[in-house]
Amino acid sequence: MAARRVAVTGAGVVSPLGATLEEFHRALCDARPGIRRLPDELAQPSGVQVGAPVDWNPLPLFKEAEAANLDRATQFALAAAGQAVAASGLEIASERGGVYWGTGLGGAHTLEAAYKQVYGAREWRLRPLTVPMVMSNAAGSNVAVRHGLRGPFANFATACSSSAMALGEAMRVIQAGRADAMIAGGSEALLTPGTLAAWQALRTLAPADAANAAASCKPFDKRRQGLVLGEGAAAFVLEDESRARARGAPILALLTGYGNSCDAVHLSRPDRDGQIRAMREALAESALAPEAIGYINAHGTATAVGDVVEAEAINAVFGGVAARVPVSSTKSLHGHLLGGAGALEFAAALLPLLHGWLPPTAFLEQPDPACRLRHVPLRAERADAPRAVMSNSFAFGGSNVVLVAERA
Amino acid sequence: MDTLERIKQLARKEFSLEAAELDAAAPLDSLGIDSLSFIEFMFKIEEEFGVSMSDEDLKGIKTLGDLERHVAAALAAAGKA
Repeated sequence: MAARRVAVTGAGVVSPLGATLEEFHRALCDARPGIRRLPDELAQPSGVQVGAPVDWNPLPLFKEAEAANLDRATQFALAAAGQAVAASGLEIASERGGVYWGTGLGGAHTLEAAYKQVYGAREWRLRPLTVPMVMSNAAGSNVAVRHGLRGPFANFATACSSSAMALGEAMRVIQAGRADAMIAGGSEALLTPGTLAAWQALRTLAPADAANAAASCKPFDKRRQGLVLGEGAAAFVLEDESRARARGAPILALLTGYGNSCDAVHLSRPDRDGQIRAMREALAESALAPEAIGYINAHGTATAVGDVVEAEAINAVFGGVAARVPVSSTKSLHGHLLGGAGALEFAAALLPLLHGWLPPTAFLEQPDPACRLRHVPLRAERADAPRAVMSNSFAFGGSNVVLVAERA
Repeated sequence: MDTLERIKQLARKEFSLEAAELDAAAPLDSLGIDSLSFIEFMFKIEEEFGVSMSDEDLKGIKTLGDLERHVAAALAAAGKA
């Protein structure tokens, strides 16, 4: 029996660049930035000047009382998953469907509100829903409840690779025949004063660009000064390909390769060899030669070290082909969604497959010679009908996840 | 506003229920109020009325009418009624 192949039959997005897949793709094509100066109530206590927040009103998607009982990260998750299910036309409220989700921190807003009350106001009477709103599996569990998915469930918390891992592992579940369809993705909402202060302490965040705050994140550019934090969610319906075709589902792409490695050398310093192993594993699983990859969505956080190491790793894996494979970091526009990053950037990587456009690395005016890549600088470019795309997610903790998707 | 009406108002807001659905004698689970949302609701009731209810009190509450009696008793005990 041939191995079951996995189709992507629906996608949903809540992002700093818009709250649907279509809006997100349009913003990438237009290089419309989602990064901006943070409001004073966030910037002043934390010292963090810029971020990529989502313009979010939980109404009318949620009733007021319902929204009050769901952390922001869970609201994003439910919204993105709802879009993905609607787009796929999936009807699988059964034990043959499941949810694999990814998040870095879980319910950060709820947790910080609780701490503020306890340590700030010295008011120890916390609302009873604090625990079920904070727990890191809250987002995925709410998605499962909403859609009646009673099969496999997992929540991945591997920092910046969390949601890419959720996608890769969900693919495995379908390949193994343990489910016919999975909702997979990730969400993050941690633009709170305390979390921002913790990130600021790491000295890895970019300050506001003096001339243009929207241009504060400059991956692969000589002038890059660090990453910019964002928030949002992306969700996908993954489905056994033959089942999807039989029901006439829209097939956005096939998820055919998943690489997963751990550097096992340092918690925060990226490692070229670990990244190389993950990219090679994903390519090997998809049985594609490097030249079949027509676009790479880089992890590209715009840190001094990270971008160089990733460029070296891509060159090592792609060899002579590297000079021709377009690479961009869309974090230049939507910031770093951390636990949600892998899923959102997988959505970005689908743009060349679905619409024939390569999303750009915005503001890349002065490419760093140490990041020798075939960039897509400043503006989106027409893609030459790529057969396959790759998306890289490299995390604190040394976790590396690489996904490969092919044209349906 | 009497106690029951205040409780109903809170319940309407918390559970997005219509006034017509709020029968004081109906079991709470028939209103779609599960154990977790009940605990959260009690938290808000305690805040609204400035009373404190024990775990033992909570066990005896199966309807909004039960809740009204417990709140009234707690208010009386606290000298607020």
